[in-house]
Amino acid sequence: MTTYPGSGPAGPLVHDPATLPADDNVNAYTFCVELKGSEWFLQKGKMIAYYGSMEFNGIGHGRLDRLVRTSFHSPLHASDWVVASGSGKMLLADRAFDVNSFDLEEGNLTIRSGNLLAFQPSLALKQSIVPGFLTLIGTGKFVAASNGPVVFMEPPIRVDPQALVGWADCPSPCHHYDHAYMTGLMGGLRAMTGLGGASGEEHQFEFVGAGTVLLQSSEALMAEQAAGAVPNEPGVPGGGGGPGHQGQQGGAPRLPGQLGDLQRRFGL
Amino acid sequence: MPFREINSKMIEATVAPGQKLFSQRGAMLAYKGEVSFTPNVQGGQGGIMSMIGRRAAGESTPLMTVEGSGTVLFGHGGHHIQVITLEGDTLYVEADRLLAFDGTLQQGTMFMGSQGGVMGMVRGQVTGQGLFTTTLKGHGSVAVMAHGGVVEVPISPQRPVHVDPQAYVAHHGDVRNKLSSALGLRDLVGRGSGEAFQLELSGSGAVYVQASEEKL
Repeated sequence: MTTYPGSGPAGPLVHDPATLPADDNVNAYTFCVELKGSEWFLQKGKMIAYYGSMEFNGIGHGRLDRLVRTSFHSPLHASDWVVASGSGKMLLADRAFDVNSFDLEEGNLTIRSGNLLAFQPSLALKQSIVPGFLTLIGTGKFVAASNGPVVFMEPPIRVDPQALVGWADCPSPCHHYDHAYMTGLMGGLRAMTGLGGASGEEHQFEFVGAGTVLLQSSEALMAEQAAGAVPNEPGVPGGGGGPGHQGQQGGAPRLPGQLGDLQRRFGL
Repeated sequence: MPFREINSKMIEATVAPGQKLFSQRGAMLAYKGEVSFTPNVQGGQGGIMSMIGRRAAGESTPLMTVEGSGTVLFGHGGHHIQVITLEGDTLYVEADRLLAFDGTLQQGTMFMGSQGGVMGMVRGQVTGQGLFTTTLKGHGSVAVMAHGGVVEVPISPQRPVHVDPQAYVAHHGDVRNKLSSALGLRDLVGRGSGEAFQLELSGSGAVYVQASEEKL
């Protein structure tokens, strides 16, 4: 980490190509990537400035086909990404959200599609089986945005769906429902009349086993990025293969937690 | 049961059996252990009468009761969080700024007019507090939300503090407040400084000020 602008006594810190950090944060909201003839994948529109000579090419550009084949396994949403190549320093930011880089070493990490900003081509990006999430596999660095600093937690833990950024090495992300107060006589009345409202915390994601869970510090979600459609086959979650799967379409599951939000708005 | 600040926008609370905690609905981020979240019809403590009082006063923020054993992480809307520890004195705060508070604290509703009559009511309008505000009294911790970071400004009898009404978050202690206006001819002709109203707090205690003039 380098000095933050404004931390010195002499007013704002002025950066030039030599003082900008290489592959590190400039401040909490800006990340600097150094390119030396190498390449980075980044989401469209997240570059805010650069020094040096760089080229930004949409994926599908002839010369880059091989690169896309080896490190990009979701051709269906490749159009949302650009490849930066050349040499120089590039600044990345996303709507003043906190930005952080993470290193993977022969590892895997699954992240919400809207939170991922950029990654090194040594990582392979794949769609997760969980709709709306992307999985990075391999060795390399990636940059992610979050609302508030990211907090790392060890399982077992239950997480509010909106606060989840991603997870690493956890084999069993699953839904957890907590409706204990809906049972019994009073609970029955509550369920029938709707009086008393919902706590908004009936539904969580549960993680057990060894690994790390990444949380952001608020429940404000990043705008979802299209993670690409999955093949329309039976047995593929979100693929709408079987006739019984029709009800589960449409990205994020609409569950009782959302009902709580609604009732909250009505002040119940 | 104190709240531990994890970062500026997130706190961790420890829940033990027999200890209750109230929090704003939907503000839980994650938890470990066996913890239950029950919506609280009454919007806090007291019986049915205090609930009606809060409803009438517009100070009934949807709350939930947090019980069980484990640790819970709270955060809401990306707002900054300030943990205030009360040692027997009273905290005056708007109900929708409350993120979480100890079940041991006594919750009440106060009529702004009871502090300074009509001027108190005018003050409530200017600060966005309305005619009523929530009070919390006793020993325990409160987590309060604010837009931007929070500064605690101590108030001593010799040194009253002037606060922009829109940046006011909460105050505690034995504090009298009044609205001081610096309205002049310049304001009438539209050449005012934009700081015509200030909240003057005097006595002994502390006032919490947010680094923004935006309401929650």
